[in-house]
Amino acid sequence: MEVIDKVTRKFKDLGKYDLQSEPGYYLLPFRFHRVTSEKEIIVNELGDYLILTNGTFERIVRRQISKDLDADLYGDLMANFFISEEIINPLIDVLATRYRTKKSFIDHFTALHIFVVSLRCEHTCHYCQVSRVTSDKDQFDMSQVHIDKGIDLMMQSPNPNVTMEFQGGEALLAFENIQYAIARSQKLALANNKTVTYVICTNLAVVTDEILEFCKENDVLISTSLDGPEFVHNENRKRPGRNSYELTISGIEKAREILGWDKVSALMTTSNLSLEYPVEIVDEYFNLGFKNMFLRPISPYGFAVKNEKKNKYNTEKFLTFYKIALNRIIEYNLKGSYFSEDYSTIILKKILTPFPVNYVDLNSPAGAINNVIVFNYEGSVYASDESRMLAEMKDYSFRLGHLDTHSYQQIFYGAKAYEIAEVWTNENLPGCSECAFQPYCGSDPIHNQATQGDMWGYRPTSTFCQRNMEVIRYLIDLMESDKAIKKIFERWIYGNRD
Amino acid sequence: MVFANEIVNDEIIVYCAVDLYSKDSLFKCLYWYGDKFHTSVGFADVDTYRISIKPKSDAGLASEDFELYQLKLERDLIDFNLRDIVTKETKNIRELLIAKAFSNGEFDEEPVGEISDPVGFEIRK
Repeated sequence: MEVIDKVTRKFKDLGKYDLQSEPGYYLLPFRFHRVTSEKEIIVNELGDYLILTNGTFERIVRRQISKDLDADLYGDLMANFFISEEIINPLIDVLATRYRTKKSFIDHFTALHIFVVSLRCEHTCHYCQVSRVTSDKDQFDMSQVHIDKGIDLMMQSPNPNVTMEFQGGEALLAFENIQYAIARSQKLALANNKTVTYVICTNLAVVTDEILEFCKENDVLISTSLDGPEFVHNENRKRPGRNSYELTISGIEKAREILGWDKVSALMTTSNLSLEYPVEIVDEYFNLGFKNMFLRPISPYGFAVKNEKKNKYNTEKFLTFYKIALNRIIEYNLKGSYFSEDYSTIILKKILTPFPVNYVDLNSPAGAINNVIVFNYEGSVYASDESRMLAEMKDYSFRLGHLDTHSYQQIFYGAKAYEIAEVWTNENLPGCSECAFQPYCGSDPIHNQATQGDMWGYRPTSTFCQRNMEVIRYLIDLMESDKAIKKIFERWIYGNRD
Repeated sequence: MVFANEIVNDEIIVYCAVDLYSKDSLFKCLYWYGDKFHTSVGFADVDTYRISIKPKSDAGLASEDFELYQLKLERDLIDFNLRDIVTKETKNIRELLIAKAFSNGEFDEEPVGEISDPVGFEIRK
């Protein structure tokens, strides 16, 4: 019987798609890493990955993968853009579009504008380097002149959607500054066609119903600090009366009641004490009804930061803490609850989706300046929140200028910004340039400066590298070993669709 | 002349053929040993690199660790050489990819092949 060539047939004969004119293949850019003693991973420029048995990477490079004998692997390598049958892949424009999408977080420039409205605080948390217990408003509160100038700079950002985050000290001790800043920025936002998201970072100790009503009226989000159960929280976060935990919990309840549950989030700071209680900290967040939590690494600021051995030891302890806590979170999910971990979710989004992630501490180019800027209480402008903490340790490497003396151009495109720009992409950093996890990781020149004394950093002793390499490796290993965990991770990325 | 990899007085010495290993790959590999070892690269003869690593005084290495580190160094040298092959072979295509990604369309080309229109969207109009 004669086969009629239908015009509506969508796919031509297989041979039509075989572009191979001669045996062999071309390599496309990709990187390699050993995941375990049996498995290795290859990752391309876009972050697509394949897990392979050991030795496969060498076979690929030596052109030992046969189209006939290794048909599945060959197909996977072609489909995932690791090899090409033509010297310039016919889908190069698709690759370029995907690469551009991955980097699109830099399209609009700075979004997060942090205003340190006061350095005053009624807490004396042992890990905090910046706050002052004082009633001296003149010296430690941001002046209205500086608030005005900060807002004016924020309005010059090319980004149509900016975030104004009020930090301290305890930001609510200068609530009148917040009210003033919100009122002024609302007016200017209308004139400048900007959408402004407002966030107050507060320990909630001095929050009142009136403050929360104001937040409700102005659609302000609350971000508070909760370090875990009472005995951990109160030990970390000291205040007269040792009642920080009690005040935080009652503040969270009050804020949820007035603003709604989705407007209140909490962050934990990991201290040496916290490292002993991963399960208890996770349980605390879960029992308080949070749908997510952030297992934040120990901040290096203010400690014996340039002691390489101590830093490495602390990072090992943090990784043990992170894994126990993450496994506890996964347990809750396996039992049917939706409860996600933020740091893992950020990395998983980078691994499993074609989209960028707007997280300032794990991007390339780094978030400093590109995504975040800090206006300090006395008018200095810093490249990130960590930069101002470094300044408290008398290191002013990331001070970009001052609100009284520097223009937008001088701050965002000045000599200091150019100096930082040399080291803010991991694509050009020694050790990172050949790393398979490069698309999932980032560059953090401020961490390098704080822990190693220069912006470039040295990867073999870098705690940033040590931590992220292991977290990324661990997450990949978890989801490749257990499909149920991969499903949980996908729910974290795409949200709870139940 | 043939050289054998060896451990001599706390120094691990590995030899690599100049025509098989790139100089870049040796340095990129040794970069990762700088936290625990003093490193050096030289020539054993015109055809052979001589690579040595010697533990720093505070590295805390036990005698049984030396053979493991020798194996690790030998394997890492191969890994970094393979990485270097990929980096150099794909340098141009990577530059093209990034140039296209950040261009404003000036490098765009018409897609190869025919565009069929079996359903009749009249896409060419």
